[in-house]
Formats: sequence, C-alpha cells, structure tokens
Amino acid sequence: MSAVIEARDVIKRWGATTALNRASLSVGRGVTGLLGANGAGKTTFLGLVLGMHRADGGSMSVLGMDPWSQGLEVRALIGYAPEHDALPPDVTAHDLVRHLAQIHGLPRREATARASDVLYELGLGEERFRQIGTMSTGQKQRVKLAQAIAHDPRLVLLDEPTNGLDPMQRDEMLALVRKVGHQLGIDVVLSSHLLDEVERVSDSVVILDAGRTVAGGTIGELETRAEAELVVEVDTGDVRRLVTALKKAGIAAIADGDRVIIALENERVYDVVRDALVAAHIGIRRLERRRTSLQDVYLAAGAAGAES
Amino acid sequence: MTASRIYDSGYRPYDGPRLGAGHATRSLVTHTLQRIFGLHRPARTKVLPMLITAIAFLPPAVFVGLAAFLPKQLTDATLPTYGDIYGFISAVVLLFVMFVAPEALCPDRRSGVLSLYLAAPLTRARYLAAKAGAVGIALLFVTLGPPLLLLVGLSLQSAGPDGPGGLALALLRIVGAGVTLAALYTALSMGASSLTDRRAVAAAGTFIFVQATNAVAAIIAFGLNGPKWVLAFSLGRAPFELARQMHGERAIDDFHVATVVLAIGCITWTLAAAAVAWRRYATLQVTR
Repeated sequence: MSAVIEARDVIKRWGATTALNRASLSVGRGVTGLLGANGAGKTTFLGLVLGMHRADGGSMSVLGMDPWSQGLEVRALIGYAPEHDALPPDVTAHDLVRHLAQIHGLPRREATARASDVLYELGLGEERFRQIGTMSTGQKQRVKLAQAIAHDPRLVLLDEPTNGLDPMQRDEMLALVRKVGHQLGIDVVLSSHLLDEVERVSDSVVILDAGRTVAGGTIGELETRAEAELVVEVDTGDVRRLVTALKKAGIAAIADGDRVIIALENERVYDVVRDALVAAHIGIRRLERRRTSLQDVYLAAGAAGAES
Repeated sequence: MTASRIYDSGYRPYDGPRLGAGHATRSLVTHTLQRIFGLHRPARTKVLPMLITAIAFLPPAVFVGLAAFLPKQLTDATLPTYGDIYGFISAVVLLFVMFVAPEALCPDRRSGVLSLYLAAPLTRARYLAAKAGAVGIALLFVTLGPPLLLLVGLSLQSAGPDGPGGLALALLRIVGAGVTLAALYTALSMGASSLTDRRAVAAAGTFIFVQATNAVAAIIAFGLNGPKWVLAFSLGRAPFELARQMHGERAIDDFHVATVVLAIGCITWTLAAAAVAWRRYATLQVTR
C-alpha cells in the first residue's frame, strides 16, 4: 500500500516563526488524524499538501506528485474544508457546491447532479436551495464537507471540521467524516486539536507538536508502542514488601497506592513476580500488561515538546 | 409497463473526464458574471446592475427613436455622433465601474471562499485573470453596448455610416473605444477592490480616486497654468476624451491633449492599477 502523503524533514517558516521544523510523516489509506495543539503546524502542513505554500526545506509527495510543482494536478484530486469561514452567505448550498465541483474539473451537467447527490448524502437534501447565510453552524460545516467531496477527490483535508458545533452536531459530523473515509472510499486527513474526536474516527494518527512530528502510526501501534509494563493490583498484603523483593531480583518496580508498576523487560519477569507474591504472602486482584492510551501518547508528546 | 424509475440519489464515484484549468477559469468567469448581474441570487441584487445597464442604453435608444420618428432634416442636426455618445453615458459607466469589480472581488476575500478557489486547480494568476475577464465583459455591456445600439439602430433606418467601408470603420472604432474603456476601468476598479474586502469602501475609494485625479489634473492644467498633458491622467475625463478622439472627433475646447498623450495616460493607469491588483493577490495570505 503506497502512502497518500509522504513528508520528509519538511521545514516551513513564516518570518521568524518556524511553523514546521523537520516534520516527517506518512499518511496512508483511510482516515488519518492530524493531532496537535493550536499552533502545532497542522494548518501549515495542509497548505503544503495543497501546494499553496512552498516548503523551505525537505521533500513532500502527495498522491505520488510534488504538490508545489504539480499543484494544479494535485489540487484537482483533493478536497479541502478549511477551519475558517469560507462560504459566501448569499449563495445557495447547491450553487456553491456545483460551482466548486466545476472548478475542480467536472462538466456542468455532472457537477449539478453530484451537488444534489452529495448534499442529500450529507443530510442537506431539503436545505440545498437555501442561502448559506441562513443556515446553522452545523449545516454550514456540512456544506463545507459537501464542497470538499462533490468532485469525488482521492483525498480530503478537513481542518477542524467540528469547530463551533454543539455535542450532538459534533457527533453527527464525526459520523459523516467516518462515512466519507470508510464508506465512500475517500482518504481523509482530519486535522484537530481534540484527542477524543481523532480517536473516534481515525485509523491512524500523526501527532504534531511545535512543528515537529512526535508520534505517528495506527492507533493500535501507538497504544502499545510505549515501554511495556506490568501492573499488579494488591488486594491483601504489604505493597512495599513486593517492591523490595522485586528490586532484590533486579527488576525495576514502583509502588503507586495499592498498585505496583513493574518494568516488563522480558518474559522471566512474570515468574519472578509470581514467586515474589508467594514469598511475601500477597493476594492480588489483577495482574495485567499496562496499556498506554492515545491520551498518554498525546500528553507525553506535549510534555516532550515543552521540555525541548 | 410503467415509465417511472427509481433514481439512487446517494454518493457515487466519478470516473468521467476531469477538465483542466481552462475549464476552471471559464467556470469562474461565468460564475462571477452571474454574481455581478445578480443571477441565482436574491431579487434585490439584480436591481442595481439591471438599472445601470438600462440607463446606459437609454440615450442611444432615445436617439434611435428620434431618428425613427423625426424628419431627416431635424435628426441630422440633433443626433449625436458615435464619439459624442460617450458624453451621455460617461456618468453611468463610472457608476457601473464603482459597482462591478467590488462585487466580483471583495466578497471572495470577505467570505473566505478565496481559500477554496486557491485550493482548487486555479493559480492566483488564473483566478485574477478570470475575475478581470468577468469584470471586463460586464463593463463592455456599457462601454460597447450603447454605441453599438446607436450604430445598429441608425443603420437600420439608413441614417448610419455611408457604405460598407464607413460601417466597418465605425464598428472598428466603437469596438476599439469600448475595449479601451473597459480595460482601463477594469484594471482601475480591480486595483481599488484588491485593497479592501468591503464593497462599499472599494466603490467609494474608486469614486474618490477618479474625482481626485480629475481635480488634481484640472488644478495643474488650468489653476496653475501648468502643462495640459497632465489632463491625460484625469480618470473621469481623459478616457472618454480618448474614446471620442478614436472616433475621429476633434478635441473639445478645454481639453487640448493629443490622442497619443491620452493613450499614454490611459495605458499608464491601466498598467499601474493592474500591478496593484496583482501585487496584492500575489502576496495575499490565504491560509497558514
């Protein structure tokens, strides 16, 4: 499977500010979350993908093309929904979506038909001839999504698509994003600073911090990539005796309330823990490998960024 | 057998042709023209462009009517020449200039839809060229249309130019003058509209700038007894005087500027205004 977007050591500066600092990442098929705090460089990265800016260093490939020198070809195959307001208030949703589909190369007749179809698909069938200025925030976000997919792009870039939405609208929008990525077969890059929405709809995640890529991979990979640890929850007995016994056996362990967190350096650790529990007469409620959540990875990335 | 069918209105992949940047440019020209004339938009947006266009065509329509109903001896004395017609429509042309480019350019930046255009297969140059094309075509309605109506109307009543040669020459002059006026005012109003995303400010700025050049040129040429060539830079008068002179008319009494000097003034303003618009869009930050 070839990467949809491949970036190597990409640098982009805005005056004295370095927005992307040797960022390297790979975006594959499906829905990819581009996660990072505000100012992490997400929007700048999307601008580079679209060929709207020229990188100051590094290399990029989008759908197998150089987005700067082949910008027209790349943009013909990409849909984009920006974070900021981008919809004219005095035009109907159908007219706008049809017009932008034509701008992306579709003949007028086809663009007209697809504008209706897409707006129906996104739940705006009855509203499609309403002026955009009279629509709610949630409907406007759907119009943004509709114009991004009407020309059947291979890749859609969605920049903070849930901005300004209430919780119910947010759930609906995320369901639509997932539908675009998984049912309509369009690869999606979802840029967001909200961890939970990325976690809910994405197959893969790239985490940016201060212009650097600090983590990337499928959600499964990221959650298990952290240092392996065992967690023992003690039911009866002295936690400190278990820690002492493990340290004597050369295994790193720390007490955390009624839990002991043990470094799982190899499979022998399980035997040592079992023997230590028996020797110390300790009863346990649970013994399991510690799973690292995406939140842990995100927080660790933020902490690493703050230290550097 | 029934004729009814069930259509699937859901999303489906598109495997048809994807037309290129030329198609995108033409689509933008068409869409912008529709916007300027209020098509596919609320009724109130149609009023001003339609009204201005109608007023621009009123003088030639009246003159054609006079030629139809009055005796030839009377009409020969009262009908204007093709060059004189600009004197009747210059105010309405300037009104249209104030309206057209701000309507074509400002809302795209104000609403943010410019970022969607530039994320499509359009370069900044193509975007600006498409907008200039639409503004130019709209302005041609009022710079080319009225004299053309006069020519056609009078010719149909055998009151037009003499012979095919005369007709061709008059047509050539009308087209040349109309295109010159449209090109200059397209560049001028686009330059002004590129500096603000508020239509009213752009319209007012265009008006003030045109009046300012008239006033400064008049003060230098007449108030200070300076060189008369500065009149070629008065944006409210010089272009229409150039159009008159392109029709072979003599310079009017207080405006003794040679045709070539008028042309240099118009070309200078056209290039300068186009450079302002291009510079503005070339450096415009759409997204970061």
